[in-house]
Amino acid sequence: MAPPAQSQRSPSPSQPSGKGEVSDLKSQLRQLAGSRAPGIDDSKRELFKKVISYMTVGIDVSSLFGEMVMCSATSDIVLKKMCYLYVGNYAKVNPDLALLTINFLQRDCKDEDPMIRGLALRSLCSLRVANLVEYLVGPLGSGLKDNNNYVRTVAVMGVLKLYHISASTCVDADFPAMLKHSMLNDSDAQVVANCLSALQEIWSSEASSSEEASREREALLSKPVVYYFLNRIKEFSEWAQCLVLELVGKYVPSETSEIFDIMNLLEDRLQHANGAVVLATIKVFLQLTLSMTDVHQQVYERIKAPLLTLVSSGSPEQSYAVLSHLHLLVMRAPFIFSSDYKHFYCQYNEPSYVKKLKLEMLTAVANESNTYEIVTELCEYAANVDIPIARESIRAVGKIALQQYDVNAIVDRLLQFLEMEKDYVTAEALVLVKDLLRKYPQWSQDCIAVVGNISSKNIQEPKAKAALIWMLGEYSQDMHDAPYILESLIENWEDEHSAEVRLHLLTAVMKCFFKRPPETQKALGAALAAGLADFHQDVHDRALFYYRLLQYNVSVAQRVVDPPKQAVSVFADTQSSEIKDRIFDEFNSLSVVYQKPSYMFTDKEHRGPFEFSDELGHLSIGAESTGHASQSSLAIDDLLGLGLPVAPAPAPSPPLLKLNSKAVLDPGTFQQKWRQLPISLSQEYSVSPRGVAALTAPQALLRHMQGHSIHCIASGGQSPNYKFFFFAQKAEESSTFLVECIINTSSAKAQIKIKADDQSASEAFSTLFQSALSEFGLP
Amino acid sequence: MLQCIFLLSDSGEVMLEKQLTGHRVDRSICAWFWEQAISQGDSFKLQPVIASPTHYLFQVVREGITYLACTQVEMPPLMAIEFLCRVADVLSDYLGGLNEDVIKDNFIIVYELLDEMIDNGFPLTTEPNILREMIAQPNIVSKVLSVVTGNSSNVSETRPGATASCVPWRTTDPKYANNEVYVDLVEEMDATINRDGVLVKCEIYGEVQVNSHLSGLPDLTLSFANTSILDDVRFHPCVRFRPWESNQILSFVPPDGQFKLMSYRVKKLKSTPIYVKPQLTSGGGTCRVDVLVGIRNDPGKTIDSITVQFQLPHCILSADMTSNHGTVNILANKTCLWSIGRIPKDKAPSMSGTLVLETGLERLHVFPTFQVAFRVMGVALSGLQIDKLDLKNLPNRPYKGFRALTRAGEFEVRS
Repeated sequence: MAPPAQSQRSPSPSQPSGKGEVSDLKSQLRQLAGSRAPGIDDSKRELFKKVISYMTVGIDVSSLFGEMVMCSATSDIVLKKMCYLYVGNYAKVNPDLALLTINFLQRDCKDEDPMIRGLALRSLCSLRVANLVEYLVGPLGSGLKDNNNYVRTVAVMGVLKLYHISASTCVDADFPAMLKHSMLNDSDAQVVANCLSALQEIWSSEASSSEEASREREALLSKPVVYYFLNRIKEFSEWAQCLVLELVGKYVPSETSEIFDIMNLLEDRLQHANGAVVLATIKVFLQLTLSMTDVHQQVYERIKAPLLTLVSSGSPEQSYAVLSHLHLLVMRAPFIFSSDYKHFYCQYNEPSYVKKLKLEMLTAVANESNTYEIVTELCEYAANVDIPIARESIRAVGKIALQQYDVNAIVDRLLQFLEMEKDYVTAEALVLVKDLLRKYPQWSQDCIAVVGNISSKNIQEPKAKAALIWMLGEYSQDMHDAPYILESLIENWEDEHSAEVRLHLLTAVMKCFFKRPPETQKALGAALAAGLADFHQDVHDRALFYYRLLQYNVSVAQRVVDPPKQAVSVFADTQSSEIKDRIFDEFNSLSVVYQKPSYMFTDKEHRGPFEFSDELGHLSIGAESTGHASQSSLAIDDLLGLGLPVAPAPAPSPPLLKLNSKAVLDPGTFQQKWRQLPISLSQEYSVSPRGVAALTAPQALLRHMQGHSIHCIASGGQSPNYKFFFFAQKAEESSTFLVECIINTSSAKAQIKIKADDQSASEAFSTLFQSALSEFGLP
Repeated sequence: MLQCIFLLSDSGEVMLEKQLTGHRVDRSICAWFWEQAISQGDSFKLQPVIASPTHYLFQVVREGITYLACTQVEMPPLMAIEFLCRVADVLSDYLGGLNEDVIKDNFIIVYELLDEMIDNGFPLTTEPNILREMIAQPNIVSKVLSVVTGNSSNVSETRPGATASCVPWRTTDPKYANNEVYVDLVEEMDATINRDGVLVKCEIYGEVQVNSHLSGLPDLTLSFANTSILDDVRFHPCVRFRPWESNQILSFVPPDGQFKLMSYRVKKLKSTPIYVKPQLTSGGGTCRVDVLVGIRNDPGKTIDSITVQFQLPHCILSADMTSNHGTVNILANKTCLWSIGRIPKDKAPSMSGTLVLETGLERLHVFPTFQVAFRVMGVALSGLQIDKLDLKNLPNRPYKGFRALTRAGEFEVRS
């Protein structure tokens, strides 16, 4: 979506409309420009302040550029800062005028005051005018060698800014090498940290075109460099520590002892006052121990307390971000948090998205020892003022019941909900009782007694109504008036707007018919007639199907529609474990807050224009529908008896592998995966002579493979040996393939190694890769 | 990395815009943001991370001012949020409180501060002492002076080479005529009492706040009598880790002025100083409310500023509440606030009254939660006690002051 046009701001009397005032300012500035009268700085300062305030309000004051520059000859640092701010804001749109400022900025870069040198250098680099880059190289070069750390800090960032304006100028001036030298030798920690952040950025974007850069990027993760940073970690500012910790998180130690050394060294970072540092440290701990199950668990134990403190100590904004991470960990290892369940109790004042996270965590950590207390707590929320949360908590009670702990007490609670006389509570509880009965049929007697007392007229919500109807059909032999209730529901067929309810009604009346034929026959006839006349395709088809089944053979019909059921042992999960793992890999990132791996939201292809704003606005509602979709469709399958051994579903034919043409993978993840995954296939192909000929320009191969949805992440080498790293992703899921491909042009052979998230698909992928490669060079 | 920071007033006006990288973020994002904020109401205001169609936004709201940061790339969310919180803290510290007018009057200083706090989207320093050395604080004295003399310079006279001090959080060599240091234990008690009157959760979040005015480079050691009760601790960067790990002693070179030395958590407390017992009985279209308050566990010091408040459910038409002590007010947002103050010696305060329900409703189905506030001066209810404070490297004996305070945090009683 294009951002909406600037909203109309009503002109208030204090805000000038523009023109007149600007030209006023212009003439005033002119008067002051040449003057050297005492006290002139103060009048200038007032004027500058006005200009900047106009700029801040959004009035275009770019026409004053010339005058501002003329007035900038001053020794007053605040005046200078205001001037730099102004220039930085307008230089990009006025490149010609920006040239005017170069002179005074360059002069200031040689000022004796380090503060002014630094500020001038920063502004010079912030002009971001492409044709002025030649003026940057000199000041940056001397800035990097300045004896003042403030100037050096600024200069390092300046190099990065220069790189973004003109990469070639930056590389040609050999700045990356200079940064590397400073990074490893400078005495000031902030300079070192800035070098690290600049180099990471420069080398990552250079890596695709230069092998040297990709080697350098690798070298950042080498043992000496990582240890160098680790040993100095306490010198860094808290923010720079985050940066270093991020780097350490990507480092793969070669020995176990290293892992423990690093963790010992970083342990006190867990008690840092800055939450960002704590979270970054936790990420390092989790990543390092990923392959050591028991240590990994100890890490969970160790990080628990700091995380819980962060949740309770910070501002609400911080708590939420931390809570999202805690949520992720709790979902991965609920048993470790089972004694801390009280931390997940909801507080009255908390916003509902926080409560929702907490409810999910409470559900996850419930076990034999704490179920009673958790359920008691959840039941109190059912009377909550916030209705979505009340619903969520009832659902949570149901989920805990389905986790099979101490169902006895929970069933009583659920049945109490049914008697609470609040329509949404009854509705939620009905759905739960239905699920519960599917898992624990032995409770039917108790439940049916209570459900029988509920008047179907009071139930409006389709899901609840469907649940009630399902129970009526399923337990019609135990519920005295089941046929009559169904009959009255069928009489109101026309008023029933939900197709789901009508489908359930058809099935329920069938089941009832098999159990109590004389009482139900009339209702069945009416239901089938109404169903056949229904405008909804599914309802119509099901009615027709039942009708023909009955015509064919009633006992077969019974076997199909109402077979003896096995209790459901596990309900389908909504989020695949693969996605969860993926989010875990992206710990301490936005992914965790969104509960989606980053490719799902940073990649434009994965989201519709409005999806996000909608989704966030209706967080609870969205989850409601997705959470139940899988269950209700399951229920329908069950009702039809399709899930039974009558006709085993045909084995799905191996699907043709489809790749995602917009796959994204950042180099860091690639490296990490490449180290973690085993080689699943290693093969040698021959390359067609045409392909070899076309390889004189390796870029051509990259483009060609991209056409087949196989993307290159790094390449290099010289004739006759070329080396490429490719990656691809399955179209439907987030499963990734990584390929190392070495092509020897003299022998016309390609050696490939494939690593895959999903090992079983690597054969299919290999075929795909080979066919793509063999087409290379063909006209 | 952050691409842009905006400061918005509580009417949605952009007060300040600071572009951080070459990718200029258009101001229209603020208009989008504000439209969402208006259409979605309060729940939106509380979401710290928001996805707009073009950017990811982080927001922190302080004193009616919204700090909005934008990014288009993946980054640690807590880093952005934590940074915005620090920006708010530093600004409020610098300008002596925050509101729209203060920001508008001092926007040049805000720009200067942001310039030093973040470069190219990556936070540099947020340490107030370092910033104070680079950018002079506009204090009352200089304000008065500027009015008198017409000189409004806010440039610090000494322009040091950024961080000249060897201890980054400490200003270079401050000098005081009277050396003094104050240590405060400030605790907040969070408690939840459920419908059956059972204390389901009770814990304390505490902070050790230090106000230090000491000359030179003093070295302080603070020890506690009973550190074993602490559940988890977090430290200011100045605290040395080893002495704590081996002997539970806080050894540090303090920053100058007010700072938070340590924060801690004590969980599983057994009792609260006061009890609040609400009782609701409804039937026949009305609901009778009785609330009793009294001392459960005398902390030995006066408990004051006691208030009890609850939100009247939507289905209530009118409420008539009275108390035998203190005042009862029904506020505009349907909150019933009972201010008790101190508990008198001779009687137990109680509040009672009747709520009239909407026509058609027989009984009340939504039960209000009572939020309780109180304050106890002179005692840390967690039981944490300071043993002693030693000071080294000081020319003369300084004055040492200790205080303690406990107040209610999220103290809830469900009915």
